[in-house]
Amino acid sequence: MTSRRDFLKTTGQGFGGLAAAVMLSEHVGATGTDGVMETLHHPAKAKRVVQLFMAGAASHIDLFDHKPMLEKHHGEESDFGEQIEAFQNGLGPWMTSAFSFAPYGECGKMLSSVVAPLGECVDDMAFVHNMVGKTGVHSQATYLQATGFQRPGFPGVGAWVSYALGTLNKNLPTFVVLPDHRGFASNGPKNWASAFLPASSQGTTIFPQRANPIADLRADAEFVTTASDTDGRTLLRQLNQRYNRGRPGDSRLEARIRTYELAAAMQLSAPEVFDLSNESEDTLKMYGLDRAGSTWPAEINAPEETEYFGRRCLIARRLLERGVRFIQVWSGNDNGFPRRNWDSHENIRRDHGPLATGLGIGAAALLKDLKQRGLLEDTLVLWTTEFGRLPSTQGSLGRDHNPFVFTNWLCGGGIKGGIKHGESDQWGYKPLDRDNPTEVYDIHATVLHLLGIDHEQLTVRHDGIDRRLTDVHGHVIHELIA
Amino acid sequence: MFRFTEFLSIPSLVAVSLFQLAAAVADGSTARRAFSVMERHCLSCHNDVDREGEFSLQTKQSFFESGFVEPGDAESSYLLHVVEFDGNEPPQMPQDAAPLSQADVDLFREWIAAGAPWPDGYRLTDTVVDNFDWWSLKPLERPPVPQFEHGSPEYYRIRTPIDAFIAKTLQEHDLPSAAEADEHTLIRRLSYDLTGLPPTPEEVRTFKNATGPRAFEELVDRLLASERYGERWARHWLDVVKYADTCGYDKDKLRPNAWPYRDYVIRSFNEDKPYDRFVEEQIAGDVLFPAEPDGILALGFIAAGPWDFIGHVEVPESRMDGKVARNLDRDDMVSNTLNTFCSVTIQCARCHNHKFDPFTQEHYYSLQSVFAAVDRAERPWDLSPEIQQKRFALAEELYAVKKTLQEHDRTVRKDGEPELPEAEARVVALKAAPATDEAVLAAAQARVSEILTRIVTPERKAKQEELLAVVTAVEEKLAELPEGNMIYSAATHFPPNVNFIPTKGRPRTVRVLHRGNVLQPLHEAIPGSIPLNAECDWHLPLPVEHSEGDRRAALARWITADDNPLTWRSIANRIWQHHFGKAIVTTPNDLGRMGQLPSHPDLLDWLAVEFRDNGRSFKKLHRTIVTSSTWRQASTHNPAAEKIDSGNRFLWRQNRRRLSAEELRDSVLSVSGRLSPDMGGPGYYLFELEKADHSPHYEYHKFNPDDPASHRRSIYRFIVRSQPDPFMTTLDCADSSQSTPRRTETFTPLQALALLNNGFTLAMARHFAARIETPSEDRTQQVQRAFELVTGRSAVDQELALLLQYSDRHGLSALCRLLFNLNQFIFVD
Repeated sequence: MTSRRDFLKTTGQGFGGLAAAVMLSEHVGATGTDGVMETLHHPAKAKRVVQLFMAGAASHIDLFDHKPMLEKHHGEESDFGEQIEAFQNGLGPWMTSAFSFAPYGECGKMLSSVVAPLGECVDDMAFVHNMVGKTGVHSQATYLQATGFQRPGFPGVGAWVSYALGTLNKNLPTFVVLPDHRGFASNGPKNWASAFLPASSQGTTIFPQRANPIADLRADAEFVTTASDTDGRTLLRQLNQRYNRGRPGDSRLEARIRTYELAAAMQLSAPEVFDLSNESEDTLKMYGLDRAGSTWPAEINAPEETEYFGRRCLIARRLLERGVRFIQVWSGNDNGFPRRNWDSHENIRRDHGPLATGLGIGAAALLKDLKQRGLLEDTLVLWTTEFGRLPSTQGSLGRDHNPFVFTNWLCGGGIKGGIKHGESDQWGYKPLDRDNPTEVYDIHATVLHLLGIDHEQLTVRHDGIDRRLTDVHGHVIHELIA
Repeated sequence: MFRFTEFLSIPSLVAVSLFQLAAAVADGSTARRAFSVMERHCLSCHNDVDREGEFSLQTKQSFFESGFVEPGDAESSYLLHVVEFDGNEPPQMPQDAAPLSQADVDLFREWIAAGAPWPDGYRLTDTVVDNFDWWSLKPLERPPVPQFEHGSPEYYRIRTPIDAFIAKTLQEHDLPSAAEADEHTLIRRLSYDLTGLPPTPEEVRTFKNATGPRAFEELVDRLLASERYGERWARHWLDVVKYADTCGYDKDKLRPNAWPYRDYVIRSFNEDKPYDRFVEEQIAGDVLFPAEPDGILALGFIAAGPWDFIGHVEVPESRMDGKVARNLDRDDMVSNTLNTFCSVTIQCARCHNHKFDPFTQEHYYSLQSVFAAVDRAERPWDLSPEIQQKRFALAEELYAVKKTLQEHDRTVRKDGEPELPEAEARVVALKAAPATDEAVLAAAQARVSEILTRIVTPERKAKQEELLAVVTAVEEKLAELPEGNMIYSAATHFPPNVNFIPTKGRPRTVRVLHRGNVLQPLHEAIPGSIPLNAECDWHLPLPVEHSEGDRRAALARWITADDNPLTWRSIANRIWQHHFGKAIVTTPNDLGRMGQLPSHPDLLDWLAVEFRDNGRSFKKLHRTIVTSSTWRQASTHNPAAEKIDSGNRFLWRQNRRRLSAEELRDSVLSVSGRLSPDMGGPGYYLFELEKADHSPHYEYHKFNPDDPASHRRSIYRFIVRSQPDPFMTTLDCADSSQSTPRRTETFTPLQALALLNNGFTLAMARHFAARIETPSEDRTQQVQRAFELVTGRSAVDQELALLLQYSDRHGLSALCRLLFNLNQFIFVD
């Protein structure tokens, strides 16, 4: 008797889809139905992950990492105490945050006014203020945070998780991505690609506002009707089974028939996910979705950003409830103009203000909503961005890139609440303890750990190397774990 | 006294230093073994460069200066304490790694107790794999073809030597072979294998009715002569070399002139260009074949992979991010070359010596230095070499004059500081203000003119005009040159773009980078290749004075040398794979120790030698393979054989396969009567292109699939690197960000949705229906025709009844849509 893993290996036919089809009825174990891991490496605290990704580089010192020294020395010539390379020319005077800070929660965490709604959640959140990157180039830095490598060609975090653990549902994708509807961040879909993992582990993009929120979910043709589809499935099954009967011993043929049944199930269940009509008024209000049908001015503004980000957060919750394993929610598009992302070289207040207001309302709503539904305990929420922004001024109101330190935060899914792990220095320029920074590998290792995966054991041989999400690095940050 | 024992050839899969190997077989010196442990467990942090914890154990001096060791007194030596368990507490060192074994700790104790002997001048080095005893590095020799007794069952099945090799292995494993496939299966399989398209029902009929003894061979020749062949096989090649029509990374800018390389590859396959020529052109065609357009077009190979616009254009080479970008750019050139042509995973040696194969960082950076002068950029191609030279010279002159002009202006403006910028800023501010008094603005403008009059003296004005005249003159000369078409390829001369500046053929200095870190450069690397055995000189044979092109030419010649065993094995293996769905070595980009072992080593060598010594002709090799009995087997299941070899490693049958994304799309176009035979030229879009100036948006969902420009073979589509076509991606097409020597084959619900509901399928269903809905035929004939077009055979009674019933209820378009989803359309037996 060959094990499931062996079977998947020897067939050599891309695990996910085949397994999803073949195994659905046979194995619904700890690792879902089609993951490559038969058993977890250790008990999991989290089953699901939501990653909130701020494209363009969100400023830690204007949102989560309060720096009184900047208030004190605002406008004075900046002095980093060493030679520093700015990405552009943002080495002007020290600049205090455009927003005021106040303490929240029992832990007294200081938050900026633009993300104040998260104040209600801080006692469940853990902040990592000593994240360091490797580059101030958006593309490479986004790759690094999204895939663990600075170059294209590596699977996204969600793809690794899908590959390892498989699905928790029968009629939705395992890994869903909700991009900013105005466009993709640096690298576009390569941030959630499967690369050398089976294609079935890649992120499925969902654009809730499109006629087909999932690509090709419905046919847009006059000759396709419900009846033609129902009869069509029957006819396909009959003809395909005739063909298959003459070709025993090839599980792919039958697997393909099953994919049509699963597709039909997805067609039935997916629209319901995007239908917010049965959400209560309170819920809609909490997510900032109480201005349906509004028209927006041409300039970036808070109500509009709130509507956009809040909607993605609410849909994320609905997807989580229906068993989607990994969800990536993006805020911000490419680095074009006018800015609709976090790359505030010109003006922090103008762009970070509305974007962060949307983030604060949407993310707080998601955390509170998950908590009240009992989902937060096994859903891990990770907030990240490609790097931070400098404490000095660029132009007169903007900030340049700061790959030397930035912030991540985590919540739920086994995370210890109300804590800080690691600090930045008094300016928010580099980690306070430069010898012991936190890197993306550590965050990824911790995420996998909470899911029951040993990041060193989840490997795939590719072009001569046993690849893993954390390359040859990464330490689980036990201080973050409850 | 230390003596280094001669290298001993010991088969080993473990990375070991020469020293360690020698030690293991020599006198077992404690010191040598202790050094080996330090090299493997300590040196990566405690070396002269990193000096972690301010401690290096690389040399005798630094080791003993630390005071961590008391020679002769192990128990007082700090070193021993940090590597030993303290009760249950794990040892402090090695940090973040498994503790040393008790044997290793005991070894340290013994060595220190013996006085910690360290020969003068001996220096610890990173571990190196120096064992060349590996199958793919062995010289290539033609193996004898297995012989079978006249009259044995095997004897009658042997059409080509391939069959003899296969039969021998089958016999050894007590495996049967499958009967020959029927004619319908054969022609369908052959058409897809060689051209990527289905045979027409007429072609199937003709072949079935053909009676001549050479009917099959004639079919093979006809398909190989078809231009569709090059379109099919070029796709395999482009998968490996990462071809795309955009740059990837941030902004993902278009490469509107990448396509001439794609067309070059198609043409090379169709012309059956000898493989050595094909390889040499792609690495150094401009040097080796300067009179041929292909010599330049082929260089698209070097430029095929991704390119970081921001890291090259917005960041100067002097900055860290600029250095990283350029280092990774050369890394892509090196790995693309070695992966593609030699199936060596040289990229593993960027940060440290290769852990499994005998290649070091030194080799890796010596390969980077081969590409040290080239960048990826557009260059003109259909020009004579003389015109090319003239253009380079003029472009260089223009650049220099413009620079002088800029400097001149800067000097002049400097005299106007700080008043001039202030005055100018005031004009700008006044203009931008909502209500500005005309008079105030005029006064501000007058102030600017006043300063300018002061600083632009008549001599300066004359100088400026003189320079401008030169610019105009050079520009005119440039304009007079024949224009030439552009190709995106390797280039040393191109118009600078901010920080992206051409080398003009002067190689950048490439240094070995400690741990691959651009901020820790070591000594300069000298152009080289990789060693194929312990004795060979892996430096490229170059005179002291040589051009950058000479380096590439020397590398190309090294790759195509008759005695480079990797090159010929690599390509024979790739070709084989695309005829059987599985290669002889199932890791076609890696014939090294982390790759798989060959299922049929002798057969692979026979194919490689046959290919090398018989014209380096792809078409001959295809012919040899597809005319074999092995290839012609049915794909029928055999439970007994399955028990012995469930993966069909030994080919007791053919492999059934799913159509690739391109085959599927092309077949849908073909049966719908929409496939245009037009070849070449710029790629057609399958998306709406928006905001192309800054960060292009590729909006696939806005595309109209009825656009006839898109009804060409899929190899001609415009491939976007960061935003690949969702339909094709769902069907497992290659990811152009990475080398894809073999496609994966998945079956997912999203794939079912794409084949049912994608705008392309629906549009083609309409065209297909219109094609078969001819007035001269009744509905039964029409449905029968549709089924034949899709499957190559007639529907039998019951099938026909079901199809008719459906089309009567839901119409022909609905039926055609379903036909695209049949297993018998999607699979090739």
